[in-house]
This record gives sequence, C-alpha cells and structure tokens, in this order.
Amino acid sequence: MPFDAMSDVPDDALLVLYANGDVAAARALTARLTPKVLGHAYRLLGDRAEAEDVAQEAMLRLWRVAADWRQGEAKVSTWLYRVVANLCTDRLRKRRSVDIDSIPEPEDPAIGAEQGLQEVARAEALQGALQTLPERQRQAVVLRHIEGLGNPEIAEIMDISPRAVESLTARGKRALAEALAGRRGELGYYDD
Amino acid sequence: MTDKQQEFSELEAFFHAARKATPDPDAALMARILDDALVEQAERAKVIAPARRQESVLRQLLRSIGGWPALTGLAAATIAGVWIGVNPPTSVSDQLAALMGVGSDAENSWFLDPLTEYDIAMTEG
Repeated sequence: MPFDAMSDVPDDALLVLYANGDVAAARALTARLTPKVLGHAYRLLGDRAEAEDVAQEAMLRLWRVAADWRQGEAKVSTWLYRVVANLCTDRLRKRRSVDIDSIPEPEDPAIGAEQGLQEVARAEALQGALQTLPERQRQAVVLRHIEGLGNPEIAEIMDISPRAVESLTARGKRALAEALAGRRGELGYYDD
Repeated sequence: MTDKQQEFSELEAFFHAARKATPDPDAALMARILDDALVEQAERAKVIAPARRQESVLRQLLRSIGGWPALTGLAAATIAGVWIGVNPPTSVSDQLAALMGVGSDAENSWFLDPLTEYDIAMTEG
C-alpha cells in the first residue's frame, strides 16, 4: 500500500499491518509517531540527545508489542506517552538534582524585537521553567497545554484521576507563572 | 483583567510559542527508528515462518482434530469398537440379531433357496 494511502488509517490498524509484515505501515508509523514521541521526551527531559534516545527506545517497545496489540483497547499514542514518561522518569531519577546550568538561557533581549526570535525565546524560557517543576506537575502541564490532550486521556496516561490532573496542572501553571514573571519585560510583555 | 487572568493569558502565549517550537526529528533519528522497525519485523517473520514450514502433514492432521487429547479419545473409541465386534456382549448380539431379522420369518425368507438340488445341477452343469 502506498504511504499516502495510509494517512487515513488509524494507528492501531497500522500496527496490526506492521505486525503482519507490512513495510509501508512501518514507515507510516515512524513518520506519524516519532515527532510526538520526541517532542514529549524533549519537554520532559530538556535535553535533545537524551530525548532522541528515549524516542528510539519507546518506538522499539512499540515494535515489540505490535504482535500482541489488541485493536480498539487502548490508543497507541496514549500507550506511547506513558512509555515515554516512564523512560524519562528513569532518566530523571538518575540525575541527582536539576542542574541549574543545564536550563537554557533566554535569547539576548536585544533581538526580542523580532517576532520570530521572540517566539523562540519564549519557547526556550518556558522549557527552562518547566525543568524547575516537580516531575508529575511538568508531565501534566506538558500533556494538557502543549500536547493539547484532554484530562481523561492524561489521567489514563498518568494513572491518576481527572481531578488529580486538574490539581497538578493548576499548581504547575501557578509555579510557571511565578518562574516566568521576572522575565516578562525581556520576552515582550510590558505593563501598559 | 485581574493580575491572575493576565498571568495565565501570558502563560498561554508561552505555551503557544512552545507548541510552534516542537523539535523535529532529524533524518538520522527517523532512519534509526525505521531500521529498528524493519529488524524487529524480520526477526518476527523468521520465528514464525520455520515453525509453520517444518510442520509435517501428520502433525497438521493431528492439530486439525484437536491434538493429542482428541487422538487419545479417538483411539479408545476405535479399540472399544473392535472389541465389541470380536466379542460382542449378549445384549448387543441379541439386538443386532433383532435388527438384522435373524431367527425370524424374515430371516427364513432371506436365506430361502428357491432352487432344488436338481435345479442347481441342471443350471450349473
């Protein structure tokens, strides 16, 4: 089946095709899921090289589970987010504490006048602030506000209740607002 | 707008920027992941294919009737059938005789020879 013809095929159906030896399904799943997996790992870890390792490992686990996948039982992306979170947790536990030097510095405020660069500076500032949050708060905020998932799906991924998700995201956002408050001026926010 | 509302709306601008700045996987990572996929797929094919190919016709027949437990039952039923045939219990032979009509008028007509010894000698020479 050509790659383009698979754009409407759901993830779990592609996984069944992959398990049956379909090479095009392997390509389609790689192209579709790798950006999600890498993005999530990067936001949880704040390190591109480590995020790539996690993305590869998470996808490898997906390939290995493909033959036993039961269609319709769970969303492939939900399962992957959970695997990524677990792999990131293992890596974060190995780090004794957050190394403050590893948090990216914002771009030079002088170049903040340009809209595109300002966006990049904001994204980097947020990434730095995310790394200061407790792990579960960070995961909930990223899933809710960057990946754009609903509370029930986040609850399933994190194995907690939807109310607990709400609580984690609320506390996380409060902490982020405080962490970023001192940088409003340099990132294009002014009190008018 | 209250301070809290303004804080959260500014935060949304940060989230928006982060969504736009999603890191793209480079070609090398995509190639590594696809490579893993194809290796795993080939490994699985290797495990399944020989197992199917090496299965003999007898084994396939055995599997189709339900494996060894089914074959044991079939063997027991066969032996019982042969034994009943060789040495039938009285009740079975009586019922069989009744079924075949042995010993009745029907049996007599069944085995009635319409020719006399003379007729046979004339017919068969």
